Amino acid sequence: MLKAIFGSDKKGKILLYLYTNGESHPREIAKKFNFYLNGVQKQLLNMERGGILYSKLKGKVRLFGFNPRYPFKRELESLLDKILKFIPQEEKEKFYLPRLRPRKTGKSL
Amino acid sequence: MRIKGLSLEDFAILISDYLIKNGIDVVLSGGACVTIYTKNKFMSYDLDFVLISSDNQKAVKQLLGDIGFYEEDRYFKHNDTEFFIDFVSPPLSLGQEPVKEISEIKKGGRVLKLLSPSDCVKDRLAAFYHWNDRQALEQAVLVCKEVEVDLKEVERWSTNEGMSDKYEKFIERLNETKTA
Repeated sequence: MLKAIFGSDKKGKILLYLYTNGESHPREIAKKFNFYLNGVQKQLLNMERGGILYSKLKGKVRLFGFNPRYPFKRELESLLDKILKFIPQEEKEKFYLPRLRPRKTGKSL
Repeated sequence: MRIKGLSLEDFAILISDYLIKNGIDVVLSGGACVTIYTKNKFMSYDLDFVLISSDNQKAVKQLLGDIGFYEEDRYFKHNDTEFFIDFVSPPLSLGQEPVKEISEIKKGGRVLKLLSPSDCVKDRLAAFYHWNDRQALEQAVLVCKEVEVDLKEVERWSTNEGMSDKYEKFIERLNETKTA
């Protein structure tokens, strides 16, 4: 499904990951999906060059996220939102349902 | 081609005209437009050219290489100038909207296509709206003080971007600078 829409399964997964998780860095994404780091970096840089993503340095880490100035951002997010409805629940829970609310320091899980 | 000692405006005209004459349509956007419209009251060294067709990226690299530019971290640099060039992928847009009218500066038989003053203000405000970039807000204000800007159109665009509240902050800041 993702390959048919985005031309690459990896690209589709990265976009879904950033859409549901917010900002992330190449190493985190590569680890999450068990992708090669170089492949993830290449996809992220291509999408940054195309204006879809922004990147910024935080300490020594380069974070990527959806560029709010991308002219098709609303439409892309709407597409990703619909795609998520077709992702199997198990896969969704593993990759695309992160806990985003804060957790106090020292609080047990 | 002489590059040394050129002002940002003359440098932009030279590069734009060279590319256009070689079949590459580009439009200047970003902070360099602020420098031009404010007559260097804000100084940018980064020239963001939007490519009208993404098919031209390889040709651009070749053409700039022919006149002594080299690529470093995706930017094109030249030993004879501090200015550097970035090529932004199409489409030419301001937030959710395409750019409808493009301005031109003609000088010595050469032509530079760039954002109009009103679109330049929108471009700067987009950075303020989405990134909370106060420098970009100040640049938008500076352009309004130097050249004629269609504030009604800027307000319409801001509303369409869902940024009416921040547009009010921009107007507040603009009024502050008028009374200062």
